[in-house]
Amino acid sequence: MRNWLKANRSKLGLTGLVLGVLLLLIIMTLPVTPVAAAPRPQAEQPTDESCLACHHQEGMTAQVGGQPLPITIDPEKFFASVHGVEEIACVDCHTNITGFPHPAVTASSRRDFSLELYPTCQECHLEQYEKTLDSVHQRAIAAGNTNAAVCTDCHNPHTQTRLTDENTGELLQEARVVIPQTCAQCHSTIYETYRESVHGVALEDGNPDVPTCIDCHGVHSIPDPTSNSFRNSIPALCASCHTDETLMAKYGLSTNVLSTYVADFHGTTVKMFEENYPDQPTNKPVCTDCHGFHDVLRVDHPDAGIAYKKNLLGKCQQCHPDATTASFTDSWLSHYEPSPQVFPLVYFVNLFYKIFIPAVLGGMTLFVLTDIYRRFIVRRAGTKAAVEAETKEEETNE
Amino acid sequence: MSRTTARTYERFPLARRIEHWVMMLSFTTLAITGLPQRFSSAPFSIAFVGFLGGIETLRTIHHIAAIVMMLGTAWHILVFGYLAYVRRTRLTMIPTLQDVKDGWQALLYNIGRAKTPPQMGRYTFEEKLEYWAFVWGAIIMGLTGFMMWNPLSTTRFLPGEVIPAAKAAHGGEALLAVLAIIIWHMYGVHIRRLNKSMFTGRMSEEEMLHEHPLELADIKAGVAEHPVDPVTLRKRQRVYLPIATVLALFMLLGVYGFVSAEQTAITTVERQAPTVVVFVPWTPTPAPTQTPTPPATETPLPTASPNATQLAAGSTTPGTPASALTWDSSIGTLLQSKCISCHGPGALGGLDLSTYSDAMRGGASGPVIIPGDGANSLLVTRQQTGDHPGQLTPEEIAQVIEWIDAGALEK
Repeated sequence: MRNWLKANRSKLGLTGLVLGVLLLLIIMTLPVTPVAAAPRPQAEQPTDESCLACHHQEGMTAQVGGQPLPITIDPEKFFASVHGVEEIACVDCHTNITGFPHPAVTASSRRDFSLELYPTCQECHLEQYEKTLDSVHQRAIAAGNTNAAVCTDCHNPHTQTRLTDENTGELLQEARVVIPQTCAQCHSTIYETYRESVHGVALEDGNPDVPTCIDCHGVHSIPDPTSNSFRNSIPALCASCHTDETLMAKYGLSTNVLSTYVADFHGTTVKMFEENYPDQPTNKPVCTDCHGFHDVLRVDHPDAGIAYKKNLLGKCQQCHPDATTASFTDSWLSHYEPSPQVFPLVYFVNLFYKIFIPAVLGGMTLFVLTDIYRRFIVRRAGTKAAVEAETKEEETNE
Repeated sequence: MSRTTARTYERFPLARRIEHWVMMLSFTTLAITGLPQRFSSAPFSIAFVGFLGGIETLRTIHHIAAIVMMLGTAWHILVFGYLAYVRRTRLTMIPTLQDVKDGWQALLYNIGRAKTPPQMGRYTFEEKLEYWAFVWGAIIMGLTGFMMWNPLSTTRFLPGEVIPAAKAAHGGEALLAVLAIIIWHMYGVHIRRLNKSMFTGRMSEEEMLHEHPLELADIKAGVAEHPVDPVTLRKRQRVYLPIATVLALFMLLGVYGFVSAEQTAITTVERQAPTVVVFVPWTPTPAPTQTPTPPATETPLPTASPNATQLAAGSTTPGTPASALTWDSSIGTLLQSKCISCHGPGALGGLDLSTYSDAMRGGASGPVIIPGDGANSLLVTRQQTGDHPGQLTPEEIAQVIEWIDAGALEK
């Protein structure tokens, strides 16, 4: 091998060069992560300093469709923002501005101005931008609801600091904490409900384990939470955290919540249904129908905890209004695995069949096997006897 | 085998055969639609549910099959009553100690510990075992099925725990029944020897001799049946008919109650989607740019400032000599107050108006002040378009023109 290498060194060098060039070409055609896209060259374009020379002044407004549009930018905040840090220039987004005077604003309102400008985000954030195209917000905009959020409503481009870890790409904890407040800009009542929930209280206490809005609703490609497919996916969604053993062990929570749900009539139905018809409605409950969603509480919450039968019965009655006895609530095993202590009847019925079925079937199989054995013996004996008889007959004939 | 004749014996009349087929079909349907529910996570179950058009369809079929089986059972009870009371036939299906002995002897014979197989009558111990297993299964499945079909009524009298317990028993019993049918029934009447009597209704003498020798002997001896004289028969029929009618009605009502007692157990009320008011924006809703703060006193907005007012007032004073307008006396102050936030040391467009010399130097577009020609100075023409952010008032522009026309003097 070594000799061969020596002999072919010059050839190898050429091959290596060709391969290298090819590799380089391939790499150049690979998609690059758009977040890190470099700012475009700005020959003859206004610098940030020249923009801020005017726009740093407090209280500046421009008139857009008869509404005052604030046009003041806090230089300190901007240069501290991720765009400032990454040296994204004003005119990289405000591409129509090449100097002064600025071109006339065509937007008919302040909202219209935002809607005109935000598609610029895709220049660098194409991946995220394309995700939003399927989102419930974009669908609302397409349906004419211009209040629905666009990029800049959640990410103030002039002040947005880095949300993810530069190396791992993971969401920073300080970013997670403010997510509900971001959504609250438009969904304030939901936010107030969430703040009271077991998740919301913990988040405000700085707990990194609890879900924020986006952990359930997604980010950018936010699906319609009122859709059937979203509802049908809820058990898997909740289970993504609630079956995580290390996570749940911290809080002494059971991880068999999904398995016990699927083992029950409701869960079995939803699972079998969802597998075949993920976008069709089902009247069987999912996690949130009993536990709530934005208002999810501890099950032992003194007022509304569903560990108390009277509270749970109220949940049952949402679908079974004729259920009037508290004992009906025990039809559902409350995520318990039956044991001699909890739901012993179910446990012992299962135990009975665990013994009874093999005992009965084993006995039957044993008997059938002896029967097969006997038949085999009898058949062989019968053949033997027949042969013997034939031989005898032949002998007599002779 | 020369002792047997070609004679055949009736084993199952048509009505009993139909009954068997009804039970067989409903049992099979229940098994096919039930087991996927018990093994709900198996891929086959999910595929089968999809094939049938969904879990609700599967359950509807299961329920219909259950109703058929319940009606079949009711019919069986009525037939039993007729045979037992009107015809007074021998109750050949009742298990006896002899069956235990027969089973034991069969086992011993199979393993070579007995010389002969047991001699059995109309129903062998194997058939009795299967029949009574079916009766046991029907009772368990009926009771637990009722509980699951009617959980609201059940929990009015029993603790709620019986519902999941019923489900456990229903599933366990179902598995047992299906496997027992496969092992015991399939082997006994299909594999060991294909017993065609449930198709033809009859058995050959040879078959009878092999499987039901005691019954064959009874038939030949003429003691298998108790002939009933027509008068007694009619008398008993007259007694049994009203009883059977009442019994039948009672059972039909039972089946009807079974399937219709509850309105909101299986068919629930339509799920009410939670109402959430989605769009309730915070006020003021944060915008991509800063919300304007109320104008502060120190804000150098391009509006009239005391200096400018003073200047404007000065300019209109008649008799004031033109030469009184110099950079130092007023123009410098005016431009500094209105322009240098952009055209100050920051020098937007290269233009710095903070000092006289800087102002005279001009900006990126060249000089902005042409001494003696106010009308053509860039500073004036740009201001006269009226859309410059730092906008001078017409009076102020007039002053600037006057100052430039007079030579744009510093002092």
